[in-house]
Amino acid sequence: MRSSSLSLSLCGLTLLLAGCGQPPEPKFSLNAKTAALTPAAQQLVSEALVENFGTPNNLVAWQELPIDYGKGSPTAAEAHRQADGWRLKEGRDLYMVHCLHCHGVAGDGNGTTARFLNPRPRDYRQGKYKFKSTAGGNRPTHDDLMRILEEGIAGTYMPSFALLGKDQLGLLVDYVRWLSMRGEIEEGLAIELAQVGLKTADLERTVREQRTEDKSVTLDTVRDELLAEVKASWSDTVAEKAKDVVDFWNEANNAENLVMPVAKRVVADAESIARGRALYLSKENKCSDCHGPAGRGDGPQTEQFSAIDGASPARNYDEPGLRDAWGNIIMPRNLTRGVYRFGRRPLDIYRRVHQGINGTPMPGFGKTLKDEQIWDIVNYVLSIPYQDGTAPAPEGVAGGETVPETASR
Amino acid sequence: MNRLWCVFFSVAAILAVVFFAIGPSMGWWFPGAAASPLGQQIDDLFYLILAITGVTFIGVHLALGYILWKFGAVPGKKSHYQHGSHLLEVVWSIVPAGILLFIALYQMDVWAAYRMKSRFDQEALSNPVAEVTARQFEWRIRYPAPGKVLQDTPQSDDLYTVNDLHTPAGKPVVIKLRSDDVLHSFFLPHLRVKQDAVPGLVIPVWFEANEPKVYDLVCAELCGWGHYKMRGQLTAQTQGDFDAYLEQLKQSQNDDGYREAAAE
Repeated sequence: MRSSSLSLSLCGLTLLLAGCGQPPEPKFSLNAKTAALTPAAQQLVSEALVENFGTPNNLVAWQELPIDYGKGSPTAAEAHRQADGWRLKEGRDLYMVHCLHCHGVAGDGNGTTARFLNPRPRDYRQGKYKFKSTAGGNRPTHDDLMRILEEGIAGTYMPSFALLGKDQLGLLVDYVRWLSMRGEIEEGLAIELAQVGLKTADLERTVREQRTEDKSVTLDTVRDELLAEVKASWSDTVAEKAKDVVDFWNEANNAENLVMPVAKRVVADAESIARGRALYLSKENKCSDCHGPAGRGDGPQTEQFSAIDGASPARNYDEPGLRDAWGNIIMPRNLTRGVYRFGRRPLDIYRRVHQGINGTPMPGFGKTLKDEQIWDIVNYVLSIPYQDGTAPAPEGVAGGETVPETASR
Repeated sequence: MNRLWCVFFSVAAILAVVFFAIGPSMGWWFPGAAASPLGQQIDDLFYLILAITGVTFIGVHLALGYILWKFGAVPGKKSHYQHGSHLLEVVWSIVPAGILLFIALYQMDVWAAYRMKSRFDQEALSNPVAEVTARQFEWRIRYPAPGKVLQDTPQSDDLYTVNDLHTPAGKPVVIKLRSDDVLHSFFLPHLRVKQDAVPGLVIPVWFEANEPKVYDLVCAELCGWGHYKMRGQLTAQTQGDFDAYLEQLKQSQNDDGYREAAAE
């Protein structure tokens, strides 16, 4: 009796201990473009990344990057703040608590909860951000990212983190920028190596082709030859890529890239709203092609088949729908709901119309429309949730709907 | 040895009650003192129930200890079997029933003040300060424009914030509570206010913060994997500060970005 209860409790203890093992060490996942390379080339990229960025548990503060890593102060109360690079480490710790489970360790937008979400969490590694105050494809400013963290993104799963306070949010923003730069450099290097022919698939094809003439050619000889070529100037390549990325991020702070209206907002009276509606429905601007004649986000383009980006030969997705730069189906905003992802200030809507939304099919109208016209559109858009969507179209706009040039299938 | 157990069972109850009694002053019990008049009444109810159950608890354990002492420890003495006592059954049914009935009636006033719309402050009820919409995993807040009354549907001049609910202090205020997705629960621990947010319902909730201060606002219903991060705060302010806050919110929300200097 006694021995059986003893063995039972031993069993329980073993189970308990087995369940409480060390969690797996966090790792920066490989970019799909890196993973497509031949293993030796993958290693080249990984080594460059580990040298300059370290691993999640052992970060490297690369001085080339325009990031405030935090200067150590010998008088700091907390021991870890006495060493340089403490801001990066604190940013990482916060990121691991608050962001990791959606955005992933490497900022690849593929954390454990990501697959339950629609829209998907942002993949930072292309340096491509939708919600920002800068023009076109520019990187976002520090303040843009702060604002996202403070306000959250209405209509998505991104919640507000305002209560963390400015200090902690600042650390998070810098860590996200750092992850973004890391991802961009990785992708740049992977593309560079792919162009040389070091993708596993390309390499195998080359070997097959060469072997028809020369039987002594093997995968190893071809690969080593290509690698030797790359390695000769590898450190320069890494430095160049880093410089490009640094330039991009510095450019975001260039005042010229900040989108600000040059004209004051037009008073949102009935006339302005009517003018805005005419512009919205016009054949030139084609807002309604995507957002729908009544602004419900159900325009005819949402039923078209989008082309797969970079596919050769060119082909379309099997499922109809507009796609974003990450290949996800994306719905044009339903303007009747009054939910605006990057803020509801007139300035925010102005920027969306003026610059479009980076990484999505939403184009910018800053070049084709005057500021006053954009303000008319803004006034109309902001009025949509509160007006009768069945009102007749303004004069001169036939049917209130533009016909897409390609009829749907 | 057996006598030791008798003493143990008698003293354990007294010790337990002592711990509960000194709990509040040691900060073990509630999250701080009640910060609203109704909260104080709710606390008083807690203490009343604690007193009743405490006295019963001590009595039961003293009786248990006494009986163990008296009858349990005599070697060689035979037990006497008794089928039951009708009188005893009646007594120990009626006494607790009476106590329960007393508690049920006694607390009705507080319950009514907390939950029944007819007992709400009618001025606050007719002019709710904000609509709070819980969603996974944050609190989205909609205020009517300064000087206007909150409508059921969004209005073009409404003001929006997230996670930081501002209200005037020192008077009852009403919020309208909704949920965008699943069950949440609007919990102000310091004010002792807790109300489930139910999808499809708009539930008025009233509270009164005693003083201008920042209080915790948390979700008290497990609402999904991000439940733990659904933290907000209630910023109770003087009426003047609150009006200024709304005004500032209005300014920033209507910002068109046009700056005189930028126009040059």
